[in-house]
Amino acid sequence: MQLVPTICTYCGTGCGLYLAVEEGKAVGIEYLSAHPASEGALCPKGNALLQILYHPDRLLYPQKKENGAFKRISWDEAYGIIADKLKEIISIYGSDAVAFYGSAQCTNEENYLLQKMGRLLGTNNIDHCARLCHAPSVAALAATLGSGAMTNTIHGFADSDCILIVGSNFTENHPVISRWVLDAKEKGAKIIVVDPRYTPTAWFADSFLQLRPGTDIALINGMISVILKEKLYNYNFIEERTEGFDDLGKSLVNYSLQEASKITGIPEDSIKEAARLYARAKNASIIYCMGVTQHRSGTDNVIALSNLALICGNFGRPGTGINPLRGQANVQGSCDMGVLPSFFPGYVKISDKAQRKRIANLWGVEDLPTQPGLTIVEIINAVHDGRIKGAYVMGESLMVSDPDTHHVEEALHKLDFLIVQDIFMTETAALADILLPAVCYAEKEGSVTSTERRVQWRHKAIEPPGEAKADWKILCELAEKMGLAEKFMYNSAEEILIEINKAIPAYGGITPARLKENIGGLCWPCPDSSHQGTPILHISSFRTPSGKGIIKPVVHREPAEIPNYEYPFTLTTGRLVLHYNSGNMTRRSPSLNKRVPEVFVEINRKDAEYLGIKPDERVKVISRRGSVEAKALITRRVAPGVVFLPFHFPGVNRLTIAELDPVSKIPEFKVATCRIEKVADQVGEQ
Amino acid sequence: MSKIIHLDLNRCIYCHACEVACEREHRGISNIFITLLDERQAIPLACRHCEKNPCLVVCPTNAIERKESGAVIIHSLRCIGCKLCALVCPFGVIQLDEMDKVVRKCDLCVHRLEDGKDPACVKTCSARAMKFGEFDKIMADVREKKSMSIISGVTDNEGFVVTLPERS
Repeated sequence: MQLVPTICTYCGTGCGLYLAVEEGKAVGIEYLSAHPASEGALCPKGNALLQILYHPDRLLYPQKKENGAFKRISWDEAYGIIADKLKEIISIYGSDAVAFYGSAQCTNEENYLLQKMGRLLGTNNIDHCARLCHAPSVAALAATLGSGAMTNTIHGFADSDCILIVGSNFTENHPVISRWVLDAKEKGAKIIVVDPRYTPTAWFADSFLQLRPGTDIALINGMISVILKEKLYNYNFIEERTEGFDDLGKSLVNYSLQEASKITGIPEDSIKEAARLYARAKNASIIYCMGVTQHRSGTDNVIALSNLALICGNFGRPGTGINPLRGQANVQGSCDMGVLPSFFPGYVKISDKAQRKRIANLWGVEDLPTQPGLTIVEIINAVHDGRIKGAYVMGESLMVSDPDTHHVEEALHKLDFLIVQDIFMTETAALADILLPAVCYAEKEGSVTSTERRVQWRHKAIEPPGEAKADWKILCELAEKMGLAEKFMYNSAEEILIEINKAIPAYGGITPARLKENIGGLCWPCPDSSHQGTPILHISSFRTPSGKGIIKPVVHREPAEIPNYEYPFTLTTGRLVLHYNSGNMTRRSPSLNKRVPEVFVEINRKDAEYLGIKPDERVKVISRRGSVEAKALITRRVAPGVVFLPFHFPGVNRLTIAELDPVSKIPEFKVATCRIEKVADQVGEQ
Repeated sequence: MSKIIHLDLNRCIYCHACEVACEREHRGISNIFITLLDERQAIPLACRHCEKNPCLVVCPTNAIERKESGAVIIHSLRCIGCKLCALVCPFGVIQLDEMDKVVRKCDLCVHRLEDGKDPACVKTCSARAMKFGEFDKIMADVREKKSMSIISGVTDNEGFVVTLPERS
């Protein structure tokens, strides 16, 4: 038996594990105790990793849709059709009639190749699911701190004296991170949890602030105004390392705690207490997640948190910083690789001519497309307008993960040509014209970057099923048919990473050889091969042009939908510990799915009583855009007037709204309005 | 001294990792059960491998054995599925395997212990709420932690709190 080290394919914690391989088959999992972030631990999803490998639903060969049904074809034929069709669309409608979706499930190398292909074909219409999770973090923190990533490490949470957790339910979505936060708590750290739901994360809070969904800025500004009034800020840090403090003071002159309390629904005293706990702590960390970003004010929400951390001087030391927890194994890496419509690899702005030319030179071309491309939701809108005719989707299920499913479905039907490259027949794959069988984490090698900027190597443990191929291999072979052969001369993932070392300065020293040697890899920035990586960012200066942290006043904006007589409930969506994103892997894992086999809706006891809904009764949740049936879970986890649905199940995103944050274009998944109806025919059916 | 699984109930996050790990190690059957109380406290419970074993005493076929290591295990070939052991178990952690018509419970991952590895639930626990070790050593650790919390003012209790002077 052989033990092959790998990195879990689920969330962004980046836990390491061994796959036990016998005669070419993965037969078990062994815990990798030497891993710096996880110490060998694995959440339930990590423990069920084997269940997706040999699943009977795996796609085994390329398929073509003919008269509404899929038919098996050869790889050669598939590549031929894709190349002909893409070339045809580009020649008739131009390069910007094609869009590319990268995947945070794929490796850095594969994402790098996908965006390289898109850009060499002449378009920046390249995006991926980061748009739906941390696009506001990338936009906001790049502006205020100069880097959109987590500033500190996961294990470093143990060194905090106070941890402010806003809109993150890491006990469910990044379970292994809990161990470090609980360590801090045992050492005396104060834990503040801000969430509309009393999640398992909130169990451990010294102070739990149950805010009305979509009022984060009002709360944070309230805390800042207490800090200003009581002079709890870090004067020296503000003087030496920040810009814009005076504007912040001016913007909050007329902002009263009373108003903050009225907007958020949190008592004034609780806001005061939280502000004091955070500001008085020697080293305080902020952890935040989708509860902050998935709003139409997502970017401003993140800026508010950045302001709070800046005025208290919480940067550059262990146990401090502002830490967006990334939701997918390689969503940080996919962003780093430039699978974003307005950035080339390494966050090079499209408008930065010198840097753009540098990358063009590396790729052996004169220049690259100079106009920013479209984001995920904009691509769907552009399909409706007829501006986009073809899409290449690598490992994403838009039909489950994107807002307003009905609108997405219409668009996918309207496309002239849809290519989906995935491991299962997802709800999106079912609509494809050409379906390409890809492989999963254990069947290929390459690097992935975890939420703490830790780049780690995944070794290949087993052979792919059927004719399935590694995503990087598919892209290289397709490139050949597209006439880009000499730009895609790679024989291995390693060779691609060596090019990435040249393309992205922060990855300069993150070579395949070093990654393969080191359990735990290296944290970027790591500019050269003697550099040991950078676990903590912003130690002596920020990465902004002036080197200062930028403080920028922001004001509260109400969510797009406000409850009314017809839609009286505020609907918020989120994730569960036993499922993962679009659910295509976890709903196929018996150990996980049997524990939560169907969608449910959390309703407060008082609301349920008023509506006459009994536990486990089937109800209909109806928004302006659609409806979904779910089992009623009557609870105190949500406040009266708020209902919660997990989005892992198809149909939930029929309810959500595609209202976008103007800067980052993230949709407002976290707030919509709805009503709840009893399912009328229920008695008859039984 | 025999090794036991100790739980720190202040750390369990109700993530179910122990259950799924146990299932993988025991052919699809989890012998650890996590219970949620009042939506705010989770308790993962498995066989406590008691020092005195009512299950062993009542077993009519001598299918239950207490090993020298302290692990209490069921010999499936001798088990007739009468469930008497479940009647006397104070924790409700014995279940019926309907397929094989025998009872199942935590075996302390004997197959892993033989390889020098800790039980799967302990290794996998996301929040490090489980410990595997000699009972008196674990208790010494718990005492140290509690002592620290008394003098550094960590305790939630109002009243007698002393703070150690900072060392340079």
